[in-house]
Amino acid sequence: MTPPVTPLIRVRALGHTYLRGTPLEVRSLHDVDVDVCAGDVVGIVGPTGSGKSTLLQHLNGLLRPQDGEVWVNGVPLSDPAVDMRAIRQRVGLLFQSPEDQLFERYAGDDVAFGPRNLGLPAEQVRDRVRKALDDVGLPFAYKDRLIAELSEGQRRRLALAGVLAMEPQVLVLDEPTAGLDPQGRRGLLAVLSDWCAGDGRAIVLASHNMEDVTAVCTHVHVLVEGTVVLRGSPREVFCNADLLARYGLAIPAATEAMHVLRGRGYPVSTTVLFAAEAAREIEGLFGGRVI
Amino acid sequence: MAGLSEFELLGRVTIGQYLPTGSRVHHLDPRVKLVMVVLMITAVVVSHSLVGLALLLAAVVSGLLSARIPLRFALAGLRPMLPFLLLLALLQVVAIPQYGAGATVIWRWSILTVTDRSVLAGVLLIARFTVMVLGISLFSFSTTTTELTHGVEHLLRPLQALGVPAHEFALVVNIAIRFLPILAEEAERLMKAQASRGADFGRGQRNFITRTRRLLPLLVPLFLVSLQRAEELIEAMEARSYLGGKGRTHLIHLQARLSDYVALASVAGVAALVIRLSLTNADGMVWRWLTEHLL
Amino acid sequence: MNRAGKPFICIEGLHHTYQAGTRRPVPALRGIDLTIDAGEYVAVIGANGSGKSTLLRHFNALLLPTSGNVWVADRNTSDTTNLRFIRSAVGMVFQAPDSQIVASVVEEDVAFGPENLGIPADELHERVEWALSTVGLWELRQRASHLLSAGQKQRIAIASALAMRPCCMLFDEATSMLDPVGRMQLLETIGQLHDDGMTIVTATHNMAEAARAQRVVVLSEGRIALQGEPRSVFAQVEQLRALELDVPQATQLAWAVGERVTHFPNDVLTVAELVNSVVARLRTRAGDGS
Repeated sequence: MTPPVTPLIRVRALGHTYLRGTPLEVRSLHDVDVDVCAGDVVGIVGPTGSGKSTLLQHLNGLLRPQDGEVWVNGVPLSDPAVDMRAIRQRVGLLFQSPEDQLFERYAGDDVAFGPRNLGLPAEQVRDRVRKALDDVGLPFAYKDRLIAELSEGQRRRLALAGVLAMEPQVLVLDEPTAGLDPQGRRGLLAVLSDWCAGDGRAIVLASHNMEDVTAVCTHVHVLVEGTVVLRGSPREVFCNADLLARYGLAIPAATEAMHVLRGRGYPVSTTVLFAAEAAREIEGLFGGRVI
Repeated sequence: MAGLSEFELLGRVTIGQYLPTGSRVHHLDPRVKLVMVVLMITAVVVSHSLVGLALLLAAVVSGLLSARIPLRFALAGLRPMLPFLLLLALLQVVAIPQYGAGATVIWRWSILTVTDRSVLAGVLLIARFTVMVLGISLFSFSTTTTELTHGVEHLLRPLQALGVPAHEFALVVNIAIRFLPILAEEAERLMKAQASRGADFGRGQRNFITRTRRLLPLLVPLFLVSLQRAEELIEAMEARSYLGGKGRTHLIHLQARLSDYVALASVAGVAALVIRLSLTNADGMVWRWLTEHLL
Repeated sequence: MNRAGKPFICIEGLHHTYQAGTRRPVPALRGIDLTIDAGEYVAVIGANGSGKSTLLRHFNALLLPTSGNVWVADRNTSDTTNLRFIRSAVGMVFQAPDSQIVASVVEEDVAFGPENLGIPADELHERVEWALSTVGLWELRQRASHLLSAGQKQRIAIASALAMRPCCMLFDEATSMLDPVGRMQLLETIGQLHDDGMTIVTATHNMAEAARAQRVVVLSEGRIALQGEPRSVFAQVEQLRALELDVPQATQLAWAVGERVTHFPNDVLTVAELVNSVVARLRTRAGDGS
């Protein structure tokens, strides 16, 4: 029997209230449990205002747990003696529209910001920049380009490189593909998949784009009004078409088609995510290949 | 403040927030409230009498009470300024000796002299500050920003004939106030993003230049984002045919009622009294009365 | 003003170059010829940088052509005397919900447009009520605009444009910052406006959205690469792949089925259509007794 894998990040009974103690307080999370193990790509889906961003900010200690606990590599984040900068190196967080946070003149300098903050010597900083740019598919020569001259897609990749240069174990992303065109989306998801294939790495991403979630995630948590209402593999979660529809969440067209066919009395499997699988099921209805 | 994360800026800033309690103060005509604020500020600045300031404080506190604002919340707005305020008061007391008629020296140490008038000046400073902050907070707690800009615009409108761009000015104020929370949110997001990359916005005595350089990762993107928003807003306004204040009509027309005039008259009365008091020696008289009857 | 079926927007030889005449001009549109009829619902799709937003901004004279002509209801956009007419005939909703709201209170923001046109006070009230009711947000008229959800803000933006009584509405990626619920509500509102006779032009990345239009125009590098009914455009598998564009998920599904079931229609746009096609095929097969 294989020993249980220690999660890289563990969240238990997490609760959070914004502006607690003031007349404007608002509860944003309650009783949230999440495990992130090496190799996982965890998707957090839910409507706007469900608390996704709040949850993500707990994973690298930007927000400290008010109720419950968050452990990063076994270290509890509620402990006031925790070295937050070490946590933030281990867990890298990329916010929404990260291209808006670039501040340097030259691309390379912005990517170098993180490693320099870690106090690394110049040679190592350079190596980190080179590797990070490579990871996101930008040539090393881009380090001397003016940020103002890059396209939006390139700037977003640059922002991602800035986080990858910290060499985190877990990469946390808030709506990584929002606003990108189809080509940009595909490129970014490919970058993320490649990165996650490395040893001992994991990704957590919040999204309301179902196509992204089905494309890359290994686990899905559905967050509604601050609490997890559904969790499992993408197949398991997207089976629950009615429940998800009630929460205003979309499911992949392939899954939806299967549900509708099943509702009309046809014997198809509803644990289908991709067009190819759905096509096979439909082919099955015709009794095999139709010539 | 327990429970606030290091990044929650909005929670600490109480000036500028609106608390809808539906009180009578909330329903006053904003022009009247603006004039009252001006009167209060004038009275605060002019008065150098503790009695006068105490009266103003009482007036402001009764204003807060009738606006149903929890006093603790209003006072919490003072807290971030307290250290700065105390420092200033201390400087006032210790470094600027006040000699005037009847001043007696209380304490002397090498070049520093403290007279009783200096102490009075220090106390007055704190009192003035407190009244101002509470008064302005009262105004902002009970007045929506849109009421504020309507009030400003209506007050300035008669001046439009003289070429004063009343509408443009009101619009600028309105947009600035409206975007403040949006930009604060952006700033918070930027701080968090840079902190996630190991930035340390902290404390510690560093020289001015290093501290400023550390703020660049915040200021540059914030500036760029503000410019971008401004451009987007300009486009949206142009698309709706905005060509300046000339020829515009208005949806909202303010109308003052009797209660507004009554409120205005009472505040004007208090302000007048306070100003009159500072021309007399009210403090001296009160001090003598206190010492005679209590000691 | 809106004669259904007659051309409402005419574009001839439109070129637009940003920073024209400087050291680094950026050509965004390289020769567009396009006609949009009154009452039509057109979707413009294309990669980022293909010129969608630039094109849209020519329809309400926010941008003027570097060369070529744009006519809106027979008036040339380059003639400044036509500006007021064009801006009130063509309304626009932008991508970012926050940056298009001017006033802090909903009804005041909706009134902003007509106020600029000098509409008298009582008519202002009428227009605000009509516009907000049309988008279903009349009860929110006294609310602070920044307290609304992104979806609600976008609907307020629609109301603010509607208050100017346009006959054409432009949507520049108006749903890209919304979650699925917000997007659905917005699309329903747009559909309703179209049903009532409004000419609609939307620029979007969302193919399911584009599939709702009557005509799809595909831009690539400043030129029109493809246009036609959604069905015929999305059926052009090779060309769309070459342009690195997506098709609606349901269409992708139809293509996948088409690889296994011969003669399966590939001009399917929604899941419902797909399912109906499958059911219909199964029934004809059963009918053939095979």
